[in-house]
Amino acid sequence: MNLALFIPEITLLVIAAIVILLDLFIEQKRWLAQVSISGLVIAGGVTIAMWGGSYPAIFNNMLAVDNFAIFFKMLFLGIAFLVILSSTDYVSKFSKFQGEYYALVLLATLGMMLMAATTNLIAIYIALELTSISLYALVGFLKDKKSTEASLKYLLLGAVASAVLLYGMALIFGFTGKTQLGEIAQVIQSLPPMTLLASPGLLLGIVLLVAGFGFKIAAVPFQMWVPDVYEGAPTPITAYLSVASKAAGFAVILRVFFSAFGLPVWLSLNWGLIFAALAAISMTVGNIIAIPQANIKRMLGYSSIAQAGYLMVGLAAMGMASAENILGQSGVLFFLASYAFTNMGAFIAIIAISNKLNSDLIEDYSGMGKRAPLLALALTLCLISLIGMPPAAGFMAKFYIFNAAIQNGLLWLVIIAVINSVVSAYYYLRVVKVMWLGEAASAEKVPSSGALRLALLLCCIGVLLLGVIPGYAIRLAQLAANIFAY
Amino acid sequence: MIPHQMVWLIFLLPLFSFVIIAFVVRPLVRPESRIAGYITIAAIGGSLALSIWALFSVMAAPHHEIPVPDITWVVIEDGVTIHLGLIMDSLTAVMLIVVTVVSLMVQIYSQGYMHGDPGYHRYYAFMSLFTMSMLGLVLADNLVFMFVFWEMVGLCSYFLIGFWFHKPSAADAAKKAFIVTRLGDFGFLAGILLLYLNTGTFDIHELHELAITGVLAGTVLTWAAIGIFAGAVGKSAQFPLHVWLPDAMEGPTPVSALIHAATMVAAGVFLVARMFPLFQHSTEALTTVAIIGGITAIFAASMGLVMNDIKRVLAYSTISQLGYMMLGLGTGGVAIGIFHLFNHAFFKALLFLGAGSVNHATGTFDMRLMGGLRKYMPWTYVTFVIASLSIAGIWPLSGFWSKDEVVISAFASQPVLFYLAMITVFMTAFYMFRAVFMTFGGEYRGGAPDAHGHGGQESHHGQPHESPRVMTIPLIILAVLSIFSGLWNVTGHFGAFMGHGETHGFLEGLFHPFTLSLPWISLILAGLGILLAYAMYSKFWISAERVGGMFKPLHTLFYRKYWFDELYENIIVKNALFRGLFGGFEQFDNKAVDGAVNGVANGVIASGRAIRYAQTGQLQLYGLFMGIGILAIIFVIYFFG
Amino acid sequence: MVIGLQHYLILSAILFSIGLYGVLAKRNAVIILMCIELMLNAVNITLVAFSRYVVPAMLTGQVFAIFVIVVAAAEAAVGLAIILAIYRGFEDIDVSKIDLLKW
Repeated sequence: MNLALFIPEITLLVIAAIVILLDLFIEQKRWLAQVSISGLVIAGGVTIAMWGGSYPAIFNNMLAVDNFAIFFKMLFLGIAFLVILSSTDYVSKFSKFQGEYYALVLLATLGMMLMAATTNLIAIYIALELTSISLYALVGFLKDKKSTEASLKYLLLGAVASAVLLYGMALIFGFTGKTQLGEIAQVIQSLPPMTLLASPGLLLGIVLLVAGFGFKIAAVPFQMWVPDVYEGAPTPITAYLSVASKAAGFAVILRVFFSAFGLPVWLSLNWGLIFAALAAISMTVGNIIAIPQANIKRMLGYSSIAQAGYLMVGLAAMGMASAENILGQSGVLFFLASYAFTNMGAFIAIIAISNKLNSDLIEDYSGMGKRAPLLALALTLCLISLIGMPPAAGFMAKFYIFNAAIQNGLLWLVIIAVINSVVSAYYYLRVVKVMWLGEAASAEKVPSSGALRLALLLCCIGVLLLGVIPGYAIRLAQLAANIFAY
Repeated sequence: MIPHQMVWLIFLLPLFSFVIIAFVVRPLVRPESRIAGYITIAAIGGSLALSIWALFSVMAAPHHEIPVPDITWVVIEDGVTIHLGLIMDSLTAVMLIVVTVVSLMVQIYSQGYMHGDPGYHRYYAFMSLFTMSMLGLVLADNLVFMFVFWEMVGLCSYFLIGFWFHKPSAADAAKKAFIVTRLGDFGFLAGILLLYLNTGTFDIHELHELAITGVLAGTVLTWAAIGIFAGAVGKSAQFPLHVWLPDAMEGPTPVSALIHAATMVAAGVFLVARMFPLFQHSTEALTTVAIIGGITAIFAASMGLVMNDIKRVLAYSTISQLGYMMLGLGTGGVAIGIFHLFNHAFFKALLFLGAGSVNHATGTFDMRLMGGLRKYMPWTYVTFVIASLSIAGIWPLSGFWSKDEVVISAFASQPVLFYLAMITVFMTAFYMFRAVFMTFGGEYRGGAPDAHGHGGQESHHGQPHESPRVMTIPLIILAVLSIFSGLWNVTGHFGAFMGHGETHGFLEGLFHPFTLSLPWISLILAGLGILLAYAMYSKFWISAERVGGMFKPLHTLFYRKYWFDELYENIIVKNALFRGLFGGFEQFDNKAVDGAVNGVANGVIASGRAIRYAQTGQLQLYGLFMGIGILAIIFVIYFFG
Repeated sequence: MVIGLQHYLILSAILFSIGLYGVLAKRNAVIILMCIELMLNAVNITLVAFSRYVVPAMLTGQVFAIFVIVVAAAEAAVGLAIILAIYRGFEDIDVSKIDLLKW
């Protein structure tokens, strides 16, 4: 086994430990962020260097080191980088436990990286729990009433969801006798269809997996925690949850459902349809409830449910597609990348604004166009991207994923999705309108730190780049998704 | 021959100006400075120069088309690529001229009109962006791009209608325009998707080819064409999606002149013309275009008869003229519809700018408060009358030529629509001269009672006076264009340029109409309309109140806009059960809100308000939902899987 | 009667359901946490039973169960800490009263 392939993960682990220890000794807490960032940069550098190579799986085939895993690792490291950049202001207000904050962010990132790489049910469960437990603690980090409430809800519901997931895994293990995804696939394909149909165990197991992962990606009806937790959590963590945690969920779903349940065709059609139905319900529910929201974090919570719906359109396309068609998978990857930039950007702008306002109410954003024109412009760009309007990344992402769905006969779903996109314009543009056309409550400018501005700038560049010249990123997503092509 | 880089530059110049104003000028320069206006004028002037170059190049080019090489933008997979490409043919060349000329005039005029407005930079930023999008829309060679620019002009229009956002009416109007046009865009998008699914291409040339060779035919073609036309109906404010345009007059008047008279609303007409080969091969679609156009023409004109707000008169007149264009497209072809668009752009922009000039002097748009302005504002008066004569279709002004062609082609193919068009000719002349006499004739009736009554800086004190030269010069230029632009097709050269028709001598063409009977009839009808207006509003031989009283039901019908807004309202009321279930009694709060679209939107909002309460904050309920969700999935799989 | 795979599976299904019921019905946060443990342990029974009957030569299920136990312990630790924080803030651990975040 080549331990060198595990360097990014080891780096994160070591840096997380260093950050906690360092916190005990140093007075200048801002170093903690810089150490964390340096760790991310090292891990990121090594990960990028691994791109494109073909490496054997490590740890007894538990962790794959393929382009798919590397794509997600780069995504998670990038997101963590932005989260830490945008947290520096926020965290410096804490009287203690700053080291733990950064360490937990790093550990959650580590968990997500493992989630994207694992090919074994046991390892998936552990990686998922590593992520979740770190996030439970992070959500409650503010220790005020709302934050702890959010944390409790997230923990209890998350634990139930993971118990359900585990039950599903146990059933699949019982049915096939294997925990390795590739071996599960072999067993399933070797059995005659009648045996598969006669035994409800496998299908039940798959449904429970959908439920367990559905919780992570915030799909209706497993989404109820999302708005509450998003509202209560510290804003950088909300951003992190909405982007990275969701992406990790999709990474696992893509891998599990494709490698283990990709064949026979009737099976993949079945789960494809489940995802199609969940997609339609998720985007509709998310968008409709987002409309009357007054708190922007909560609104973005519902919006993230709707976005999960659009993403699941890609999953449904994957289920419907023939094996050599990887448009659905690569569509999900591209969408996740563009969504990462977009939503991070939106949240970073919100962090900057609410640092000053101490409020997350949309009405308090009135006149932001005058008080903080650049922040307002960035937020506008991100919201436009969330609607899916050009020239922002969201447009390309939706176009790509909807194209995949249409090619695989899901026109009805795309029609629902397009109607939903139009509905969603209403609440996104409401924020834009309030910011640019509303009266400012005061003429006071909204200051923001250099780190925050840098993070926001990176996001905006990403949003525009993916929207205007998406060719390179699409190529990247397709290479990553290529592991799914037979 | 124009190099293709220069073609790209046509629409990039206003983009540069937008970027400079939005990111450099607006943050750094005081709002009193006029720099933003100069930048915009320079950029659009550049575009105009290039457009003229392009026009002459296209005229000289074989088949009246210059090939512009594509740039590959995105490769999604082997078959699916998106090219960035431009079309440079006769249709585009003509539209470029229309857009850049009117835009340039409006920008110059705005230097006077918007001077001192606190949103001056913002105004020019959006105007630049709008001009860029409009030029892009005209130049786009594939439907995806076209749709992108299509949405962008809609967005700019949204921001510019709501420019004086502190007026609630402006904000409402902006919202209404945005939502109503979006309804048509659904159709457009569906049409694009339908075409793509059946042909695998977004490229306009390829689609033309497929339609002409008959590969694309039958119901698919018809539905796709009707979908595209739905987009045009929304954008061009055709019946029944016309309700947004009169309200859109809440924006600054130069905006109305540029966006809601000359260019954006004509984009629908342009769209149909651009996709014309598709319509040509579907009789149903083409007939739909003609019928909607004909109905819109008379329907809007009838409402224009009774409005007291000068901008609303012009708005209904615009809708009516757009109907003419659609009628021309539907019965006669591209050349006829676009020729009317071309002429209309100049005289209608002139009318709006004239109305703005009047408002600048009196502080109001209500014609009952004006009167006698002939004395005070000679330039505005003369140019306004020229434009009115042109729109009424008086020989030899531009409106005569294009309207004549529309009427003749309607006569040839759709007799019923022809009669509607003839009645509209009479109505048009009447309402335009009613406006002229009420505004400029008689004695001055005092202007705005409350000097601060009308939003923003559109306010005024004391005696009315002529507008500054920066405003009157665009009026004069547009007046010259309104007189002469029609002469382009006197010789048949415009038609030949657009692809069909023969050419003949100038003098022969100039007097040719008098050898036919139809032009006589329409001239007489127009003359009667003007006479009637003269009798009623200048000499008061006929009391307008009496007539109004005699035709009271009709007057009310027109004045209340056929209760169209109320009709939409009723649809909402029918939704009361649905809304009652979720939203309770909210519809009584906003009874003034109109439009079926608002009804649907309210339904969605109300259901959102209702469903959100399922989120009780009780975490165990959330768990229960998850459990029920799992059971539901199992149930569905078990019974349907 | 021979005790076979089915019996273990039914037992674990019943335990899982009891746990789920407890999560949904009990108001005390600590009891809810205990019920979650019950659910996880029900899964452990399934895993071990499957391992014993389906792949008797391997210990996959047992290993899985051990990992689950470890993770469950970690989860419980964080959970109790959060419940403590809740008690400090709300002075109550009745989950039905913890509903500041809603709608």
